[in-house]
Amino acid sequence: MQTNFWQRHLNILDYALSSLWRRKLKNGGIAIIFSLVIFLMASFQLLTQSLETTAEKTLSFAPDITLQRLSAGRQVSVPENRIESLAAIFGIRQITPRVWGYHFDEKNGANYTVLGLSSGILQQADLPLAYGRLPKKGKQGEVVISTSVRKSLGLENRKSFTLFRSDLSQISFTVVGIFSENTDILTGDTILMDLEDARDLFRLNNSQVTDLAVSVINPAETNTIAAKISSLMPDTRVLTRSQIRKTYRAVFGWRSGFGSVCLLTALASFVILAWDKASGLSQEEKREIAILKFLGFQINDILALRFWESITVACSSFLLGLTLAYIHVASFEGSLFKPILVGWSVLRPSLNLAPALTFADLLLVFSYSVLPYLAATIIPAWRSAVIRAETII
Amino acid sequence: MNIELENVYKIYNQGRANEVTALHAVSLAIEPHSMICLRGASGSGKSTLLSVIGCVFPPTSGKASVAGKQISRLPARFLGLYRRQVIGFIFQKFNVLPELSVLDNVTLPLLPLGISPKTRQLRAEPLLEKLSISHRRDFPADEISGGELQRVAIARALINDPPFLLADEPTAHLDTKLSLEFMEIVSDLKASGKTVVIASHDPLVTDHGSVDSVVDIRDGRIV
Repeated sequence: MQTNFWQRHLNILDYALSSLWRRKLKNGGIAIIFSLVIFLMASFQLLTQSLETTAEKTLSFAPDITLQRLSAGRQVSVPENRIESLAAIFGIRQITPRVWGYHFDEKNGANYTVLGLSSGILQQADLPLAYGRLPKKGKQGEVVISTSVRKSLGLENRKSFTLFRSDLSQISFTVVGIFSENTDILTGDTILMDLEDARDLFRLNNSQVTDLAVSVINPAETNTIAAKISSLMPDTRVLTRSQIRKTYRAVFGWRSGFGSVCLLTALASFVILAWDKASGLSQEEKREIAILKFLGFQINDILALRFWESITVACSSFLLGLTLAYIHVASFEGSLFKPILVGWSVLRPSLNLAPALTFADLLLVFSYSVLPYLAATIIPAWRSAVIRAETII
Repeated sequence: MNIELENVYKIYNQGRANEVTALHAVSLAIEPHSMICLRGASGSGKSTLLSVIGCVFPPTSGKASVAGKQISRLPARFLGLYRRQVIGFIFQKFNVLPELSVLDNVTLPLLPLGISPKTRQLRAEPLLEKLSISHRRDFPADEISGGELQRVAIARALINDPPFLLADEPTAHLDTKLSLEFMEIVSDLKASGKTVVIASHDPLVTDHGSVDSVVDIRDGRIV
């Protein structure tokens, strides 16, 4: 009798689903644990991808080239007159002197990044603000801060606050604008002010700046220009945007890898459990298979049955785990793993993460979760497939 | 279509310390459309003989032919395929899957044949009707009576319309009334052209009027 291949598999799939339902407690337990493992691993993967994507977007605000001066391997201030030498390099569009540094708030343990830009540059800047404005030209003491900084300073509805100079004298500031949360990954701990205010705060003399931000006319020439600057000024460190991008990726990458390695042990434990469950058959299961063999099921039919059972559990768990991971990252900012990847600073950026799920990510999560599970459950299935039919007589 | 056995031996665990010869030089011929009863005490070898006839396993030596096919040297896989075509088997304890419905149990042998659900249902319904259990079609097997369970087992054995129906101690767990009911059903099946072989030591079976001959087995030998 000719057997319809597809109908045969549909029949076996139907039987497999009913078999899973009949043992719903055991299979449900395995599916839940498997979903949890996939949720953890997929969350890590999605969060890393999302952070990299978010960092990528916000890096568009970073300068093409950042120039810092080194002395004895440490960063020191840059004389402002270096701008004239740089301006002679063909391909440079603009050179922005910056004064920046860190201000530690002992009261709450927060470390603020203070960034001072010249008023001309501030007016030209296309910085997204949630509300307010940038500091006005000629107006001292005006700052733009992030929501996190405002909360950390305990400002609530107030707009004024003071910071201490190194000699413990105070300098007052007024908040005139709040950064958009979309840039939080870069501005989360930032206080933006006029260049002169920053010099005043850090007690830097008028001819010195912390670094120079260089923008180029043709982005394709960035590396060439960076090389020219290096040879013109050997005592400087020249950082391009692509180098900063690599640093971000490295930081997220090794942390993500570390987390993934830890989760791999959870996956391995689960795969061993699955193998153990698939290898050991209860008396009832053995009897059922013997009956099926007696009624005409062949070895390949039993293997097909086990395959469909395993793939149903695996795919259901995969979809559930992946969906939960997506919700975890999109709606809850990956709160379970964010501290590992983003850090434990007091001023954590608030991130609106849109999980970027590529086909490669799906394939990766599928490969290191579903495939080992299938192998662990289908290989031992051979033992059940060769149960002899006459054992039920 | 008949069954012929010639000088058949069946030895379990051959060559080992626990070797057992279950069948000794058994020769038997069963005519088509007849009903034969294999009678013997427990351990006499009647279940083993039934299993050889039922293509469950081949004999260790000797010739065995079922419906014209030599089954003595068929590999296990082909034996299974052949069994599914020509043999309907009713077990002592019925071996019905308790959580499946009556319909699903009856149509179980049709699943690996790639037969669609609609066709399976079309084949099963006349059998269920004939055996008076169509009203239990959707009931789980563990919610029906012993007599109904017996008829489910018979329906399942007949779903492929096999020419041979074998039953191993079918009345062992039934009362007198149900045992007689069972014999009435198999008598009708014999009348409709089936060849029936029953292994039993129950007098209700061996002494039934529709049994054509009784073969006595003792210690693996036909007496």
